[in-house]
Amino acid sequence: MIAIAYLLLSIAAILFVVRLLLGPSVADRIIALDGLLVTILGGVLVNAAWVDSAVSIDTVLVVALLGFVATGVLARYIEQRGG
Amino acid sequence: MDLVAHTLLVVGALFMVLAAVGVVRFGDIYSRLHAAAKGPALGVVLVGAGAAMSIRTVQATVVVILVIVLQLIGGPVGTHLLGRSVYRRIRPPLMGPDELGPVVDAEDVD
Repeated sequence: MIAIAYLLLSIAAILFVVRLLLGPSVADRIIALDGLLVTILGGVLVNAAWVDSAVSIDTVLVVALLGFVATGVLARYIEQRGG
Repeated sequence: MDLVAHTLLVVGALFMVLAAVGVVRFGDIYSRLHAAAKGPALGVVLVGAGAAMSIRTVQATVVVILVIVLQLIGGPVGTHLLGRSVYRRIRPPLMGPDELGPVVDAEDVD
């Protein structure tokens, strides 16, 4: 059953990478990177459930913080530099 | 208990896939922001609940609750910042009437 979750997250990651590669503007690529980071977060959580240990669970916190800060900084970059 | 946890994991991953399909298929950057903001929030909540119910330790539960709160606060804030920057700098054509444009142009002092 967990294998299905892994498979679905892989499909989501592939789709986000597709948008990352052909996104017309910088903002599309930022959206795709943000989604990819959230997908990685879900993958770490699924992996923690798979091995049934809380060793790697702190990684999730770091990835969540990184995603928030990165999106804010990149939005600020677009606003100051334009396009 | 494990069945419930695994079902939560699969449903959360399904929401990630739905968000990714929306990001790839929608034809407008605002629609893509809409898809990218709502799907992963629910996905993280469900996957985190599934992982916490599967591991069942205090540390994992606390961290998962923290991550869910962080995602539910930070996700909309980041998406709003991004949408604001895109509207003010790039302004791709909207699919409907644009009533915000003159207001932003009038107050844009830089």
